[in-house]
Amino acid sequence: MDARVIEAAPPPARFARGWHCLGLADSFKDGRPHAVEAFGTKLVVFQGEDGALNVLDAYCRHMGGDLSQGTVKGDAVACPFHDWRWAGDGRCAGIPYAKRVPRAARTRAWRAMEQNRQLFVWNDPQGNPPPPDVVIPRIEGAYSDEWSAWTWDGILVEGSHCREIVDNVVDMAHFFYIHYALPTYFKNVFEGHVATQYFDGISRDDAHLGFVPGAPTRITQKSEAAYYGPSYMIDYLWNIAEGVQTETVLINCHYPVTRDSFMLQWGVIVKKFPGMDDAAADAMARQVGDAVKLGFMQDVEIWRNKAPIDNPLLCDQDGPVYQLRRWYEQFYVDVEDVTPEMTNRFEFEIDTARAVETWKKEVEENVANGVSYSVLPASMRS
Amino acid sequence: MMRPVDCRVCGTRVLVEKNSLPHTSVQWTTDAGATCGEFAPRVASGEYGALITHCGALRDAIDEAVRDGRIEVPPDDGPARSTE
Repeated sequence: MDARVIEAAPPPARFARGWHCLGLADSFKDGRPHAVEAFGTKLVVFQGEDGALNVLDAYCRHMGGDLSQGTVKGDAVACPFHDWRWAGDGRCAGIPYAKRVPRAARTRAWRAMEQNRQLFVWNDPQGNPPPPDVVIPRIEGAYSDEWSAWTWDGILVEGSHCREIVDNVVDMAHFFYIHYALPTYFKNVFEGHVATQYFDGISRDDAHLGFVPGAPTRITQKSEAAYYGPSYMIDYLWNIAEGVQTETVLINCHYPVTRDSFMLQWGVIVKKFPGMDDAAADAMARQVGDAVKLGFMQDVEIWRNKAPIDNPLLCDQDGPVYQLRRWYEQFYVDVEDVTPEMTNRFEFEIDTARAVETWKKEVEENVANGVSYSVLPASMRS
Repeated sequence: MMRPVDCRVCGTRVLVEKNSLPHTSVQWTTDAGATCGEFAPRVASGEYGALITHCGALRDAIDEAVRDGRIEVPPDDGPARSTE
């Protein structure tokens, strides 16, 4: 019998169509221009006097100066090279030393918006505006006094296409082997531009990971996570430990930097317990954020060493990788080439019985042998 | 192999495969948010279809198709599904 051969086409030349989260909006609102390397180029993000965040190509169309090294003047960003001023709509707003601005002096302005106290930029290789139904849903907790403020963190992942992180949507088994979780229920639904993962799990007696602050204890986990478009996942998490429920919202998002690198970012808010003040809630969110970071570091370690693979060999207990990638493909083709196969509803519920039985046994053996994968984030160590 | 199943309530036809009793794979070939009797009103009121886990009426139809043998469920120790 012939050995199976791994197939892998080069990563796509284009970047996905969709809203991409660049980070917390407030982090760009300090009156200075900010550089963001994304979509194969450099962007400049700045807040004009009118308060709106603007995103432009960073390279000045005059002589190529880097606007992110410049200054904000009024509603425009001024180039450090010759002080050319560029407004948020891409128009050249003035050249102080010139009599007039050249006709057709425009640079590329990226459509930007704020939602959930985060900044988003729209990428479409065809240059179309977002369709009305392609929006980022509002997270109520992000605007509520009953929740903490956002934590925010990120890692630049080099040498991998961002498909690697999206594949995790369907990858039940990696949650056991990479993240020391124990999934008991796992289902995916893809429909339109949204891909959902329903996940129930239990904590492992051989691993305490700091997702729930406090003493290590048995935890029941429930997660409902959905990608809205190619890169922004909202994950609603409920952890129950000794009858106490922790509610968390985790953002898992990324934007491509080059064809084979991406900035992976995440943020966490937690719901306050009764009587909890802001500082304590923010500290709790930071602990969860630190634990999430450890999880992503484990993924990154895999990606750094793995091969890209277009033809994964799957077993019955794997999730629907091919159907997920078919869904993901819609963001990489022209909008008129999106087929019903990419967007029609697809549901896949894994039979977890065998996996759960095997994994529970493995955990028991680890406990008996004194093997522990407990990893506490720095902020939780006392 | 995926087999057609018709919902007994709204008549929507989907393709279904089961590798075991707990496993279910459902491929819709219509716009679920428009054709499914349970989804349509919820999607019309702003819910995301992908955030609705399943249609209850369709699940009943699938269970019935399994019971009367229209959807074959391989035995637990049967040959593994080959995927691609």
